Amino acid sequence: MSAQPGPRTRLAGGLLLWYAVLGGALAWAIHLMLAWGIDELTCASGSDRIGAVPLRVVVALAVVVPALATVGALLAAALAWRRTAHTRSDGIAEGTLGRTRLLAALGLWANLLFLAIILLGGVALLVFPPCQR
Amino acid sequence: MSTTTAPSPGAGQEDLARLEAHWGERASLRSWFSTVDHKRIGRRYLVTASLFFVLAGTSALAMRTQLARPESNLLSPEEYNQLFTMHGTAMIFLFATPMLFGFGNYLVPLMIGSRDMAFPKLNAFGYWVFLFAGLFMWASLPFGAAPNGGWFAYVPLTDDRNTPGLHMDVYTLGLLFLGIATTAGSINFIVTALKLRAPGMSLNRVPLFVWAIVATAFMVIFALPALNLDNAMLFLDRRFGTHFFDPEAAGNVLLWQHLFWIFGHPDVYIIVMPALGIVSAVLPAFTRRGVVGYVLIVLAIVSIAIISFGVWVHHMFATGLPHLSYSFFSAASTIITIPSGIQIFAWLATMMLGRLVVRVPLLFLVGFIVTFVLGGLTGAMFALTAFDQQVTDSYFVVAHFHYVLIGGAVFPILAAIYYWLPKMTGRMYHEGLGKWAFWLFFTGMQVAFFPMHLSGLFGMPRRVYTYRDEPGWDVWNMVSTIGAYILAVGLLLVLIGVVHAIRRGRPAPPDPWCGDTLEWSTESPPRPYNFPVLPQVHSLHPTWDQPSRSSMAEDATPDRILADGRRTLFTSELDGRRERVVEMPEASLQPLLLALAMLVFFTAMLFAWYPFAVAAAVAVAVIIAWWLWPPRRPEEELGVAR
Repeated sequence: MSAQPGPRTRLAGGLLLWYAVLGGALAWAIHLMLAWGIDELTCASGSDRIGAVPLRVVVALAVVVPALATVGALLAAALAWRRTAHTRSDGIAEGTLGRTRLLAALGLWANLLFLAIILLGGVALLVFPPCQR
Repeated sequence: MSTTTAPSPGAGQEDLARLEAHWGERASLRSWFSTVDHKRIGRRYLVTASLFFVLAGTSALAMRTQLARPESNLLSPEEYNQLFTMHGTAMIFLFATPMLFGFGNYLVPLMIGSRDMAFPKLNAFGYWVFLFAGLFMWASLPFGAAPNGGWFAYVPLTDDRNTPGLHMDVYTLGLLFLGIATTAGSINFIVTALKLRAPGMSLNRVPLFVWAIVATAFMVIFALPALNLDNAMLFLDRRFGTHFFDPEAAGNVLLWQHLFWIFGHPDVYIIVMPALGIVSAVLPAFTRRGVVGYVLIVLAIVSIAIISFGVWVHHMFATGLPHLSYSFFSAASTIITIPSGIQIFAWLATMMLGRLVVRVPLLFLVGFIVTFVLGGLTGAMFALTAFDQQVTDSYFVVAHFHYVLIGGAVFPILAAIYYWLPKMTGRMYHEGLGKWAFWLFFTGMQVAFFPMHLSGLFGMPRRVYTYRDEPGWDVWNMVSTIGAYILAVGLLLVLIGVVHAIRRGRPAPPDPWCGDTLEWSTESPPRPYNFPVLPQVHSLHPTWDQPSRSSMAEDATPDRILADGRRTLFTSELDGRRERVVEMPEASLQPLLLALAMLVFFTAMLFAWYPFAVAAAVAVAVIIAWWLWPPRRPEEELGVAR
């Protein structure tokens, strides 16, 4: 029989689980807003630099950083999936365990999808000049 | 597997009588206007949305008749513009979403084992607003003042210089009015699904239809503000001379397109998502097994709901934005086909692994898969910028979105009508008539819309009221028109089938299909309180598992009967753990009065009767205050009595 985790541990576990489920989605949303917004507004102003930094570098950062955050969420989801794989359930806790595994599985697949979107969008950086119309 | 009779009620006769007294509504005119019963409201949504569908469908037939031959004079250009705009606007806003919300209203509380929606009065209010907003928009047509700038109303075509008159004011105010109903309904769905699920219904036991409705509701909450903002700005530009979309005064016409499609593309999924939920709900009964890949379908629902917010620029590939910008949206538009495909393969696997029972609802599901996949195929083609730019604003686009929307929404809606008709009316439909309806509808759909791909590739632009004989478009247009009439006959047979079932159908048992979700454990039609005993859920298929069924019969406990008032249970959001008993509101005229006051406000704004608008706004505020005023409670309940 295992001891019940304390409130702080449960909070950390809960936050980690939500990061595993929604981290990729949030990272992709931030990537889209930054990469698209910066490209669109900078090009509309007639420049391809932001200060001294080339626009391509800034957009690349808006691809790489969210991609890394998504990889982190993917790893967190994999961890949650592994940890719940051998947990035994009893009575009411069966529902809790079931939904935790559901959320972990959702995180695994969803983060893969969001990582694919971010990387596919980022590949265009290798092909197009940032302001080509 | 469930039987065709409901489990014997675990509540005694005395409990049932008390439940009936608290939840029942006597038939009267007042009760008709004041009801807050989710089943009555759900049925009203379905009937009203169907009436708007008939109006929009009749508009389509008039347009197809006009286009059957070159240089026809049946409709004037002005009439044609109003008809195609009202057709699109009504099908999207007044039929598809409200129809699916109607199913949601009726079914979500039943599927999750609750006695009503979380906010019954808000539910009634949403219906009245929907009805009045629909009438507000359709009433403009006989006066020649209906919206006429297309359902997406691009500026500068729709500004006051290019479209004078009330036309686009009806559009902007009508959609702002309707948006109140959609938002209210969405909030209600989310809270209902999160807080009112039966004990034991943890997230992994939530029916897929409920997942779909909740995801849709979240999409509405995030997407609709963009449309509301757009319409408010267009109304201000047109009426009060602001310059949000006027480039001469530092406004931006692309701002309209961005805001519209930030709403508009999620709206495609807002329409299709609940319909896909219907497919997942109907399929188990006709394959004799649960849907394959529950987790993957939930993934598909959730990820589509999120990714759909990052694809809107693919509607603007012809506007001259930087190519790099397009690539981010092109990537999302391509990847979003994966979760859609996951669902299709899950349903195909379910059919392959199950034992098919070929009844009318299953036929419509098969029709859905064929048609929707064809629509999805051309959709994936649009994700390629180069192809999209070739066919933008051609009939190819018209063919595509009719395949997606009729395939993705109307086929499942028709399946749902046949599937849940016995539950809603207590009567069975005529199988032969239903099969005729299916084959006519399916054939008509393909004959009407497949040729539009060809017309589009041959260069026919959309939204033309007539065309010359020269380009060779006439054959395909004639074929499309013939198909439209075949489709209409199919729909007429559906209507006849429903009326026949209500008037002459044989009585329906509680569970005629051996369905797996909780609505099949209630009577047909359900009693006003839905469940004599609120269930304790033990699996994803509660009517197929003995412990869940027993929980409503021999294992009933008083804390799930709750016969001492209009009461239901609050449970926790993730695990469905029992939290507390809540008292539900009684029937009230406040929702109707509030919606009427809003109708007066929007009508006064339309005709620029501003003093009336101010008076109506005051009335709205007063009714809201009356609605929210804390009720008098006995001192015992407040905890201050000695």
